[in-house]
Parts: sequence; structure tokens; C-alpha cells
Amino acid sequence: MSWRGVQPAFTTVAGLVFLPFLAALFVPLVHRVIGERTAYYAAAVALVCLGLVAALQGTPGTVAVDWIPALGVALRFTVDGLAVLIGFLATGIGLFILAYSREYMRDEVGLSRYYATLLVFMGSMLGVVFAGDLVVLFVFWELTSVSSFVLIGFYEQRPAARRAARKALVITVGGGLFMLVGFLLLGAATGTFDLTAMLARPAAVQSALRARGWFLPVLGLVAIGAAAKSAQVPLHIWLPDAMEAPTPVSAFLHAATMVKAGVYLLGRFRPLLAGPEWTMLLVSLGLVTMAVTAALAVSATDIKALLAYSTASHLGLIVAGFALLSAAGAETGTLHILNHALFKAGLFLVAGIVAHAAGTRALDELGGLRHELPLTAAIAVVLGLSMAGVPPFAGYYSKELLFEATYGAARATGGLWWLLPAVAVFASMLTVLYSLRFLAVFFGEPPRALQAVHRPPATMLAAPAVLGLLTLAVSVSPEAAVHAVVGAATGAVGGPAAYHVGLPTHLTVPVGMSGLALTGGVAGFLVVGRLETDLRAVLAVDPLTVNWYYDGLLNGLDRLSAVVTPAVMTGRLRTYATWVLGSTTVLALAGYAATRVVLPPFPGPVLDLPAVVVLLVAVGAALMATRAPSHVAGVLTLSILGVMTAIFYILASAPDLVLTQLVVETLVLLIFLLVLDKLPAFYGVASRLRAARDAVLAASVGLTVFVTVLVATAGVPGNGIASYFLQHAIPNGGGANVVNVILVDFRAFDTMGEISVVSMAGLSVLVLVALHGRAEAGR
Amino acid sequence: MTTVIARTATRIAVPLVLVTAVALMLQGHNLPGGGFIAAVLAATGFALVYVVYGTGELQAFVGTSGETALFGHGPIEWYRLSLGVGLALAAGAGLVPILFGEPFLTQTYVVFHGLPLYGELEVASALAFDTGVFLAVSGALLTIVSVVGSR
Repeated sequence: MSWRGVQPAFTTVAGLVFLPFLAALFVPLVHRVIGERTAYYAAAVALVCLGLVAALQGTPGTVAVDWIPALGVALRFTVDGLAVLIGFLATGIGLFILAYSREYMRDEVGLSRYYATLLVFMGSMLGVVFAGDLVVLFVFWELTSVSSFVLIGFYEQRPAARRAARKALVITVGGGLFMLVGFLLLGAATGTFDLTAMLARPAAVQSALRARGWFLPVLGLVAIGAAAKSAQVPLHIWLPDAMEAPTPVSAFLHAATMVKAGVYLLGRFRPLLAGPEWTMLLVSLGLVTMAVTAALAVSATDIKALLAYSTASHLGLIVAGFALLSAAGAETGTLHILNHALFKAGLFLVAGIVAHAAGTRALDELGGLRHELPLTAAIAVVLGLSMAGVPPFAGYYSKELLFEATYGAARATGGLWWLLPAVAVFASMLTVLYSLRFLAVFFGEPPRALQAVHRPPATMLAAPAVLGLLTLAVSVSPEAAVHAVVGAATGAVGGPAAYHVGLPTHLTVPVGMSGLALTGGVAGFLVVGRLETDLRAVLAVDPLTVNWYYDGLLNGLDRLSAVVTPAVMTGRLRTYATWVLGSTTVLALAGYAATRVVLPPFPGPVLDLPAVVVLLVAVGAALMATRAPSHVAGVLTLSILGVMTAIFYILASAPDLVLTQLVVETLVLLIFLLVLDKLPAFYGVASRLRAARDAVLAASVGLTVFVTVLVATAGVPGNGIASYFLQHAIPNGGGANVVNVILVDFRAFDTMGEISVVSMAGLSVLVLVALHGRAEAGR
Repeated sequence: MTTVIARTATRIAVPLVLVTAVALMLQGHNLPGGGFIAAVLAATGFALVYVVYGTGELQAFVGTSGETALFGHGPIEWYRLSLGVGLALAAGAGLVPILFGEPFLTQTYVVFHGLPLYGELEVASALAFDTGVFLAVSGALLTIVSVVGSR
């Protein structure tokens, strides 16, 4: 790939990322006008984006505009080989999926939401891969999770869909939060969120991390984020459930693109975090995932579930590839990203056609479909053999590269590392086995139970056919694919930008491994029919499944909140007040203690006699209020305190404060009187324990306020602001009342916010009371 | 609390309270006062009416405007209007400076000389903002007072 030495234009990159979001805004309008043909509108958007990615391909570089300059965060986009590769997948496969949806989603309800969310997802995915800033990357990352949540829960009446959507959200967003912590550590260690700058000096970043001992935490946190997104064991459990989504969504998000975000992240961070720890952690993660989920795919009973487990398995392969720091490792990862996207998206669309045509997705009830669906069968064979890694189909090349990489690592290190090629071969056997199980739905005799099969319309076949042709093209000439997009991506993850892939010309160990995997898989398919039932028997043991732990965790949380909620939320104001005041006090005092705040020294008596008298009366009134025999007496006693405060302000010559204090005091008194009219005169004697608790709470609130005032006033830096206001009030504000000038001029923005809050409070009271009244009326 | 003394005192006091409120608002820029204080004072005046006369009297005074069963009684409509107009006025007063290329909420003032009766009068643009504050705060407080009072 020859990069022309031109910087990308900011408008092109930003246009590419934000166009889908913009287009999503108009989807409801478009849907109202052209109905189900919105699919074509969305596909047109994807086509434009595809063109923009193609235009960007020749212009690597970084563009940025400031976003949050105070934090050093910029809306920075970087164009490089890896971003372009996944950009092509997101827009190109998006184009096919959207066109396919026209037929698949015929007569569905909620299409406007469907297309808008798909477009938002596409934009978010483009944002993730083109982001050149950690914060921007994180924001788009979570947006892909959120749009995936909406799409999995598309059939929101189905409880299973809602559960699946929640599970995917909990796991992927939760993983994203781990990743965010990793990003923050990375930002703190390097002093910047600029990913591009970090990638320019990977050695400096790594030594900065290691110097603080943060290398392992950052590696672990980023790996958790990637593993959650890319469905690595044990976080893979959301992916099979996500098959509740409409099939085009499964093909697009949960096979070709969103789950690639995790491996994208690993590819992106590979140059930064490369090291022995990186390889140890990720190669075991990837290979275990590859084997375990391949076994799960073998035991699957539903064609979409089979494909879902298979997706996790292939993502494991990519992770393992990126984990190995050899050239073959990088090549494995990037080439398989392309191959897997092509064959898996195509296979999902095939599964969608089968489900539509036969009315079932159960493997047991399907068979012999080649008679009714000859074209679909032909496409499925090409894609399925690519998935199995059968030469000379596309998937073979990337799998062969993995064998080469694992074998190379084992030979270089020896010992336990020989497990790597062994596990890789074992997982590949299982891959061949489940690929054959999938293809079996087209061969053999159709089961009796199978209903009349109707042929899919041509428009539904177009998308998988194109994906099949692309797979064939990569199969015929993998070199062309490497030259066009994959090579540059390999270069971006720290591998060679140009390399040779092709059919082997002589026998090597990796070639032997491929042969072993193939024969083992075929033999397994032919001989061990019992394997599936055995695996299912193992999975029937609850503690052996991850879902058992997930459900246990969620149910435990449910039970915990069922215990906690009634204690905290009693519906009585005094309970809420207790919790709010108590926690505020604890937090504030703990904050002072943690920061070791020192109380300012007592300066000796500074008040004159009148002020002391006034304050003593106020304290006396406060004490009296606690002994008041009735509510009215209590409120009236309290207002003595208020008036004394006003008098104190008079002594301190603050007329505006006096006025405010007096009128507010009066108004509060009047409101109290209005309310007290309706309340019982006396609640009865409080228990000694409760009285003591309230006294402790009140005392600690008082203490907190006291300390806060002392600490806050001690921290005033000189007299700068006050004298500024006094000097400028008349010349700039034209007012002699400096308090008022501050309110309406110098600090008018604050006042604006305050009156908004006051208005909001008024409306809230109105609505709450009105709703309460309506609820009572309706009862 | 509806003794004759209370009623009579209220009749005399409330107009005075309201006039004082307006005066406080107008003089606020140079003397103690201002939109917020004036609003609370005005609200206090109304609250006094509620306490002494109940909601019926005020309703008759302001006039009920159509069907307002959901949101209590008639005057609340007025309070909500006041609240909305106040917010709009304050925000609008803040937007005007933008037309002159100044930042949001920049204030200025003009001093007129040689006017009849007044002689010299200073008009600050902040008065518009302060009026907005007055209307918004009094609207909100009165809404709360009357909602609480009507139940």
C-alpha cells in the first residue's frame, strides 16, 4: 500500500464519524415519508461512509480540534491502516446488512428505531476506530455498547430479549468502565490522553508506566475492557444471549463489527503494552476462549447460538494472534479480522434465510435444505469452509498464521509453551467439527417435521452472495487483500506492512498442524456423534457454567436491595432527612479528616457586647425550640432565632442581608402556619433511643456546618475579590448597592441559574402535588 | 385565624407590603433591595392573604381562569405565567448584549439629565434582569405557597 504523503482533512474524518449520527436524527422523518424503504436511505448513508473511508485510505495522519482543553482532551482522529480496515468492515458490511434488512425486517414494528440505532452504532464504531484520543475512544466505545443494548432488546415484549439486552449492557459497559480506569492511569502516567502521541513513543509510555508500577494494572484493565467487548471467557456469556436480536443485527454487531472493538483495542495497544506479561495474559485468554467456546459451539442446538459461540472462538483466535509478538502473530490478528467479518456476517445472513425459509433454527429439525435453497447452500459452503479453515478458503490462511505463530513461540521458549500449538490445534478440530454441523443443515435427508420451505427473495440473497464472493476473492488471492488493506493494518499493530501469504509449497510443521486439525475435525464429525450430548451433560451441571454465577450475582443483588430499600425509603420525610443529613455529615467530616484540614487558631473574643447578647438569645431560642410543647410554639420559637440572626446582620451593617433574612423568615413562618393547620397537634412522646439518635444527628450536622464555615472562611485569599467589587460597582455596574450589582451584573450568570432552580422547585411542587391529587382521585 | 382584627389588619397591610416590594425592587440597584428580596416580600404579602382569608377570597379577586382542577385553583395559572415570563425576561435581557457583540448578560447603564420631576435618573439595563428575577422568584414562591395552602 503506498500512502500518499497527504494529511487527512478534518472535515472528511469528522464527516465520516458524525454523518451516521446526523442521518439517524432524520430517520423518523424519512420513515414517515418512505416507510420500509428507509432501509435504502440508511444503506445510502453507509455507502457514502464507505466512500469516505476509501477516500481516507490514502491519507494517514492525525487531525484534531479542541474539545475539553482544560483536561487536554481533543476531538482527535487518527487515520491509519487498522482504523481503515475496520472502517471498511463497519461501513461495507453495514451497507449489506441495511440492504438485507429491507426484506428481513418486512412488516416489523419499530423500524424507525431499528434503522436509527443501526446508524448510530455505525457512527460509534467509526468513532472508536478513528479516535486518536483515549477519552474520545471511550465515549464512542460506550456508545457502541448502548446501541447494541437497544438493538438486542429490539423485540422488547420478549422477556428473553430484555434479559439478554441487560446482560450485554452490564458486561460490556462494565468492562468499559474497567477500561476507563486503565485509560485514566495511562493518562496520569503520561500526562496526556493523546493516543497518537503515545503510539509515536511506545517505549517512553511503557517505561513511564513501569516506573510507577502501573504497567500490570493498565494491562489488566484494558484487557478486561477488551475481553468484555470481544466475548472472551469468562465474559463470553452475553454473546449467545444477544442472539435475541434480529439476525441482521447479530450479523453486523455481534459478528462483524462491535465484537471487533475489543480486538481492535488490543491491536491498538499492542505496540504500547507489548511485553512478556502481555503475551502471557492474552495468549492464554485467547486460546482458552478459542477452545472453550468452540466446544460450546459443538454442543449448540440452535444455528444462531452455534454461530455466536463460534464468533467468540474466532475472536479468541484473533486475541491469541495479537498476544504473540512475532510478525506472524500480528498477521494472524489483522487477516483474521477481515476473514472472520466476511464469513461470519455472511453465515449469519444465511442463518437468517434458513430461519425465515424453514421457520425454525433448531439444528435437529433442519436438514437437506440444498434442494430448496440451492444458492444459499452454495454460499454457505464457501463461507462455512472458510470458517473451518479448510484450504484454500480464506480462513485457512489466517489460521495457518496462528499455527505458525504458536509453533514459533513454543520453539523459541519451549516447556509449557508447547501447550499453545496443542490447544490451537485442538480448538481448530472443534472448529472444523461445528462448521460441518452447521453445513449439515443443507445436506442429508430433510427431517419429517420440517414444514414446507419457501425460497428467499433475491434481495435477501444479494448480501450473503456478495460476502461469499469477497471470501472467494480473498481465498483466491490473499496477497491482494494484504496489499489492499490488511498489510497497512498489520503495520499499525506493530507487524510488517508487507508479507507473503499463500498455499504452502512444501511440508512444514504448521502445515502438518492444519492437516491434523482438519482430519481430527472430520473424524470427530463422522465418528463421535455422542460428543455433543456428552458436552451438554457437562453443561447441565450448574456450577460449571458462567451463567450460573452471573444469575447468582444478579439475584443476590436483587435480594440485597429488597432488604435495603425498605430501610432507607420508608416514604417518611424524617427517614429521608436522617439519611441525607447523616451521609452528608459523614462524607464532609471524612473529607476533612482525609485531607487533614487544620482548624484556624481561635483569635480571641472579637465581638462586642450587643452581638454577644443577640447570639446568646439565638442559642437560647434554639434550645427552647427543642422543648416546645406544640408545633406552633416550636415554629414561633425558631423564628426568634431567625430574627436574632437578622439583628446580628444589622450589627454587622449588612442591610441587604437583613432584609432578605427578615422576609424569608416571615415567609417560612407563614408557610409553616399554613401547613401546621393541617397536621396533628402532637405526635406523642418520642422514645428515648430515638430522641438520643436525633440529638446526635443534629449535633453532628451542627458540628459539620461549624467546621465548614471555619475552614471555608479561613481559606479566603486576602481581600482581593471584595475590594474589586467595591471599586468597580459604581463605574462598571452603575449601582451603589454592591450586593445587588454582584447579583445582577458581575455574577448575573449565577443568578440566572438560581432563578432557574427556584422556578424548577416551584413547578416540581406543583406537579408532585397535582400528581398526588390525581393518583388519589383515581384510586 | 379569621378574626375581624386579622382581616382588617391584612386589608391595610397587604397593599403596603406590595408597594414596598415594588419600591425595594426599583431602588435595589443603589439602595438596599433588589429583585429577590422584593419577590420574597411580595410572596409574603400573598401568603398573609392565604393564611387569613383562605384560598377563596384571592380566587375571587384574581378571577378563576377556566378549568384548573388538575393544578389547584385559578391564581396558580397567573403564578406560572409570572414564572415563565420572569425567566424569559431574565434570559432575554441577557441575550440583548450579544446583539451588540458583548458577552451574555453584560449590563450597562445610562444616566438621563434634566428630566422633569426626577431631574436626574439613572436607568440600568440590570433593571430588566432584576425584574425577571422578581417575576420568576415571586411566581415560584407563590406557586409553592398556594399549592401548600390549598391542600
